[in-house]
Amino acid sequence: MDVLMLSAEQNTPFNYFPIALQLVIAVGFVVVMMLVSHLLGPKRKTEDKLINFESGIPSVGNARQPMGIKYFLVAILFVLFDVEVIFFYPYAVNFKYLGKEGFLEVVLFVAFFLCGFIYIVKRGALEWED
Amino acid sequence: MKAIIATTVFGVIMMFAGLWVNDKKSIAGLATFLFAALLGVTIWDLTTTSVNSPKSLFNDMLRSEHYSLWFNTIMTGCSLLYVLLMGKEVQKVGKYVSEYFALIFFILCGLYLLSMYNNLLMMFIGIEILSIPQYILAGSDKRNLKSSEASLKYFLMGAFSTGILLMGITLLYGAARTFNITEMVTLMHSDALNPLALAGILFIMIAFSFKVSAAPMHMWTPDVYDGSPTVFTAFMATVVKSAAFFAFLRLFQVSFNSLSEHWVMVLAIITAATLLVGNVTAVFQQSVKRMLAYSSIAQAGFMLFAVLAVNAVAWQGIIIYAVAYSVATIGIFAVLVKLKDYTYDGFNGLAQREPLLAFVTTIFLFSLAGIPLTGGFMAKYYVLLAVVQQGQLMWLVIFALLMAAISVYYYFRVIIAMYFKAGTPEISSPVTGGDKFMLVVTCALVILLGVLPQLFLTKV
Repeated sequence: MDVLMLSAEQNTPFNYFPIALQLVIAVGFVVVMMLVSHLLGPKRKTEDKLINFESGIPSVGNARQPMGIKYFLVAILFVLFDVEVIFFYPYAVNFKYLGKEGFLEVVLFVAFFLCGFIYIVKRGALEWED
Repeated sequence: MKAIIATTVFGVIMMFAGLWVNDKKSIAGLATFLFAALLGVTIWDLTTTSVNSPKSLFNDMLRSEHYSLWFNTIMTGCSLLYVLLMGKEVQKVGKYVSEYFALIFFILCGLYLLSMYNNLLMMFIGIEILSIPQYILAGSDKRNLKSSEASLKYFLMGAFSTGILLMGITLLYGAARTFNITEMVTLMHSDALNPLALAGILFIMIAFSFKVSAAPMHMWTPDVYDGSPTVFTAFMATVVKSAAFFAFLRLFQVSFNSLSEHWVMVLAIITAATLLVGNVTAVFQQSVKRMLAYSSIAQAGFMLFAVLAVNAVAWQGIIIYAVAYSVATIGIFAVLVKLKDYTYDGFNGLAQREPLLAFVTTIFLFSLAGIPLTGGFMAKYYVLLAVVQQGQLMWLVIFALLMAAISVYYYFRVIIAMYFKAGTPEISSPVTGGDKFMLVVTCALVILLGVLPQLFLTKV
């Protein structure tokens, strides 16, 4: 343990040893668990077990069909606004420290975001009917 | 800094202009006006900053050095030239003309960040702002499968190289404990041979080589440049590439200068490979557009010389090379979009049909090949001078000169097709008086660069 503490003072690749150790343990855990359950568990192969699971309903057709781009668009736009909210969390934590200037910067950020929102609404990205 | 704000606001204005203005012509007119205004703002930035004291902005995230501002001004000038030459062709790509211009404004925002960053995070954001609009522009011709292919290929490859860049930044941070590129210098010096730092430098070098399409990370370039709409290829191959090079040089000059003995050989080999692959493959192309893609790889090899030579001349070299290469290439693409057939045969007999077009193309090709009295000659002169002064890589200089001789072959094939072969080239859009005027201006710029390169270097 002394060695680890000592090396933390210097800046060497050895500092990353704990991370490597964690990686080895993480991968090792998965491998061991899979192997053990594979070796010890009972095996019974039936036809039903081998087909794709689709919420209990018999599977229908092929997954590679053309689909409306709207779903994708809505999903992407959702991610944008989701990320916007994520930016508020660190701001909320530092609300007092950042003061008036920080507030104005966040207002600027939200204003830019609103511009984008107005733009996508006007462009008709959220219109569901053709 | 004013330029960064201005270009963002202009981009948003262009976005909204598309909602209320349906006339493509007035949108292009507005864009031209805004580009001129942006050039004004960059000049304002340049004149209000003193030469010797760089301004530190946003808690030292950016640092507006004088040569950075000068680079911004020149590149904005090139963009204005691009819009004046090709504004009409941009209108033909598709429905969303105002968005195309908005994306170009956002690309310029990335360019400004890349020329001024003082922090690896800003560099990363700059590269992303530079790249993402390009993925969209590459795929803007939605009905064309080649365009979609170019976009997807560029996006996947670009995302992959961004991952490598981030890994490099992480390793560097681990070694130097700072993202600040000027502070990093002293910290990396303290523990002389940190393998983490060296691995980080290597990762960043590879990621940048990808962005500037240096061999062996060049595989995406021909397909992307060939598949994208020609107007946007012109922008990608010139202004954007120069910006990536400037960022490359800035990081390696400011931060890794003292460690150059460790990375200079790797970069020299990359340079040699780029020159070889770019020039030799360009010889075998049948399409002029694809030849120009390979020629841009070859030219990237020359620009890498500026990064290799860690000295003051390298700054002058990169700036003069960026502007000479950009102006000449934008000019050639402006002629190319006028033609229907992009093969060499498509140029047959152009000198009889449009003598002026053939003449300016010849001058642009002279410049790319590096014939004296054109900008390309002075550009090659400065970057090679930088490496000669550094003094260790004479073999590479000789190799580059040999490769420049090869490049003359494929550039001159176009000239031969235009002047000495009979044929009737098909023109896709009529060449108006305005087009001719702008081409002559571009041509004059190329010659001015070759005769008076000092004009473009006074601020460096």
